[in-house]
Amino acid sequence: MTAPTTEPIIHASDVTRAFDSRVAVDNLSFDVEPGTTLGVVGPSGSGKTTTIRMLTGTLGRTSGEIRVLGEDPMHFSRRTRGRIAYMPQLFSLYEDLSAQENVGFVAALYGIGPFRRRRLIRRALEVVDLVDARHRLARDLSGGMQRRLELACALVHSPEVLFIDEPTAGIDPILRQTIWDELRRLRDEGRTLLVTTQYVAEAEYCDRVALIADGELVALDDPEALRQMVFGGDVLQVDTDRAVDPEVLAGVDGVANVRQTSPRTLVVTVTEAASLTPRIIDALRAGGVAVAGIEEHQPTFDEVFTGLVEQRRAVRGTSAQDRSESMVDARA
Amino acid sequence: MPVPDIGQSIVRMASFTGKELREVVRRPGVLLSLIVGPFLIMFIFGLGYSGYREPFATEIVIPEDSNLPRDPEYYADLAPGRLDVREVGVDPEAAEGRLRNHEIDLLIVAPANATAELRSGRQTTIRVAWNEVDPVYAQLAGLATSILVNSLNAEIIEQAADEGISFAEGELGPAVSNVPPGVIARPTTAETENVAPTEPNVLSFFGPAVFALVLQHLAITLTALSLVRERLSGQMDRFRVAPVSSMELLVGKYVAYAVLSLAVAAVVGALLVGILGVPLLGGWLIFVGIVLLLTFASLGIGLLISLVADSERQAVQLSMLVLLASVFFSGFVLPVQDFAEWTQYLAYALPVTHGIGLLQEHMLRGEVTQMWMLAMLAAIGLILYVGSLLRLRRVLRRAD
Repeated sequence: MTAPTTEPIIHASDVTRAFDSRVAVDNLSFDVEPGTTLGVVGPSGSGKTTTIRMLTGTLGRTSGEIRVLGEDPMHFSRRTRGRIAYMPQLFSLYEDLSAQENVGFVAALYGIGPFRRRRLIRRALEVVDLVDARHRLARDLSGGMQRRLELACALVHSPEVLFIDEPTAGIDPILRQTIWDELRRLRDEGRTLLVTTQYVAEAEYCDRVALIADGELVALDDPEALRQMVFGGDVLQVDTDRAVDPEVLAGVDGVANVRQTSPRTLVVTVTEAASLTPRIIDALRAGGVAVAGIEEHQPTFDEVFTGLVEQRRAVRGTSAQDRSESMVDARA
Repeated sequence: MPVPDIGQSIVRMASFTGKELREVVRRPGVLLSLIVGPFLIMFIFGLGYSGYREPFATEIVIPEDSNLPRDPEYYADLAPGRLDVREVGVDPEAAEGRLRNHEIDLLIVAPANATAELRSGRQTTIRVAWNEVDPVYAQLAGLATSILVNSLNAEIIEQAADEGISFAEGELGPAVSNVPPGVIARPTTAETENVAPTEPNVLSFFGPAVFALVLQHLAITLTALSLVRERLSGQMDRFRVAPVSSMELLVGKYVAYAVLSLAVAAVVGALLVGILGVPLLGGWLIFVGIVLLLTFASLGIGLLISLVADSERQAVQLSMLVLLASVFFSGFVLPVQDFAEWTQYLAYALPVTHGIGLLQEHMLRGEVTQMWMLAMLAAIGLILYVGSLLRLRRVLRRAD
């Protein structure tokens, strides 16, 4: 597997891609360390596929620098190509070939001879749980099975780096979970993965997450740090036995924000949940309210993503307003 | 620069070959139409086309003062099988009206008192008219007319000679009558013989031509669709990422379709020779060589189409255009030599032109004298292969 190195396996610096006047990806920068999963998360049309295609060398970039396994994707050597795998967003395998034949074809593209191939095909199909369907023609497989077949094709030559474009798009939640379990297993084996998804909640499964919107990087960090970034700390949900005034917690040291979601429910943002929970209980009790329940609230990544995009828009709006005011001042 | 692993290259090429063959085999309908289709077309063609053409409905006008025969059978016998003499009349205007109304195909108006005019040393004119837009039929009508006019000329000479002999007999004695007027009018007769090794036969002549045309069309259509599908499905991105070269991809496909074409050629060729009775006077080895070269050149056209077409529909349209050009210019219908010189360049740029020429010569004469055609097939194939390779290399590298 990957030799121990401090160099990132994937390095992108100020990468921009424009199609005529439309900028699809704007100044994207990130690194992916060996044996980790970077999730590129964003809504449809945000530039995820453009990014992954630039990283695999199937699409050129307008500016910026990309290195994958130390090489520019536009000039990958044959050897490096043999170390990476790309799973496209759309099903592009051959419908008239069986699942086994499709995987075998891709294995042969990587120069794997017929004797070794047989064992690797079986293993790849086992990984995606398609052994029983190996003789079925690809056109007769369900949408979910076709995605898994694509994944088997990407895995068959044991790549060190996998670029996987929306592996769970259009797939039911149970199968999505299965695919992510498999991706995490691959990561645990030491492979490096870059996975795009439009399902924000799936950011949870990644070691690091790059949130992109309109081709721009909104945030890049590990999932927990992103939550912190949006909410300014840990979030506690407090249920009381009677209606409560949120002002009761106003003076408690370490409480950053209190939001009332119902007469008997407060969502409290604190700097550190474990040490502040007793203090909150005490403050409420002092205000004549008993705590019926208190637990750390895990904001969904939908909330995180929405929060980050709103923060970005707010910053942009402020900047735009500042610029506008500066111009007025200058004219004055 | 590291030496490429030959073994891995062979594995990659074989992967394309195997994939293409499997895909074709998985569509039994396609396979069936590929093998049975051409055979059926030739079978129906052979059974249905006899080469017989309805004789031209003809009316002959003999002026009242003419002493030419007025029996329709007499004129029908002058051009046997070509003229159906409906009437021998005296009114040229009425006959012309019938020609314009398509009641008759051909009108022949004999000159008035032709023998007397001949005796006076003057040439007379036989007027012939037809009402036909089909150039082939117009040409046939001209041929039938020419035969008839020659026969009429001979008839007029014979009548004049007969009169001259009667006169000379009275003046010079009976020795003059030793030369019959028929010999004076027709001093020579023709005895024909076809020295070709096979008797001309519609099925035998067109069999190799249909075979060549089907092979070219098969190779072009299958290849054009194969690569254009891969381009449109996104499969090309997989090839771009994988360590596969454009040459490996191309050679893999060439081998697949060469195998397929040979299989189809073997089956159709066996049916052609075994069941339809088309002669194969040359050896099988050269036959296979011609088929391989024709396939090689045709695959190049298919690959080029697949690399420039934006959709499957466009690929099919371009394939059909090549087929249409092949039917018109390859010598399939009309001889290539009948075209203007600049058009012949187009004809000789089509692999099927050489395929038809070579297969007809090899199968019907048992020899290949036009070696330049073999060289042309190889050259077309090579040029198209290099062109496809360069284009594919661009497609695989294109990341703009």
